[in-house]
Amino acid sequence: MEIETRVIEKLLPHRYPFLLLDRVTKLEPGKSAEGIKNITVNEYYFAGHFPGEPIVPGVLIVESLAQLSAVMYLTAYFPEETDWNHIERGKIDAGEIATKVGYLAEIKNIKFKKVVRPGDVLQLKVFQKGQFANLSQIKVEAYVAGSCVVEGTITVSERK
Amino acid sequence: MDMEKVSREIVSEKIVSKEKVWSYAKRRREMCAAIKKMIVEQLCLDLDPEFITDDQPLFGRGLELDSIDALELAVGIYSEFSVTISDGDSSVFSSVNQLADYIMEKQEEGEKDDGD
Repeated sequence: MEIETRVIEKLLPHRYPFLLLDRVTKLEPGKSAEGIKNITVNEYYFAGHFPGEPIVPGVLIVESLAQLSAVMYLTAYFPEETDWNHIERGKIDAGEIATKVGYLAEIKNIKFKKVVRPGDVLQLKVFQKGQFANLSQIKVEAYVAGSCVVEGTITVSERK
Repeated sequence: MDMEKVSREIVSEKIVSKEKVWSYAKRRREMCAAIKKMIVEQLCLDLDPEFITDDQPLFGRGLELDSIDALELAVGIYSEFSVTISDGDSSVFSSVNQLADYIMEKQEEGEKDDGD
């Protein structure tokens, strides 16, 4: 089941101009997730990055992957078989669980393999490698039209 | 070498044969060496694994590791030794000897479970 922005906003504290996740397309709570971030020519950062040569800053792709990771570990706190659309309709209160979103704790071995431009659809993939105390290590990958543009490992924290 | 652990093993299993003690000591030495190698590789430390001593504190003083390194070690221990360290067992990160105790104990438990 896909998760749309209305639901993502119930889970993540991020808002304009920093909600960098448009849709979650696949989800195995606590284990892995896939999602989409569309890049339009209207992104605010293209004004300066760079004038005449719009390129998505690599760190923002990492941020998109971190936001998808947050959705991945947060959804593990909901009961199995949760209908995510019910969160949006207010049948399920995500308030308590949403406060668990933590911070990015480590960025490791990240490779930026290709530039990403306006019109590209970023396909994001995250996979939990390990977890200890309040930290999770996550293998992250981003693709554009089937080819890998970013890959590496990040660590994110959550509030217990 | 952790002589106390060896003697505990001898008492608990009532072993007297020298061969068994030696074989345990050998496994133990190999485990400590493997752990040190894993620590250096996993944390990309710029030092010789043999430089780490068995009882040296890994966090705070000693190697000065932090909580992110602990997660890194937990991931390394799982991939290297197939042993999961749960959140409650964080004290095992205090030294190479503590890690060796924990890993060998868990591996023996695993073998026993497989036998049942």
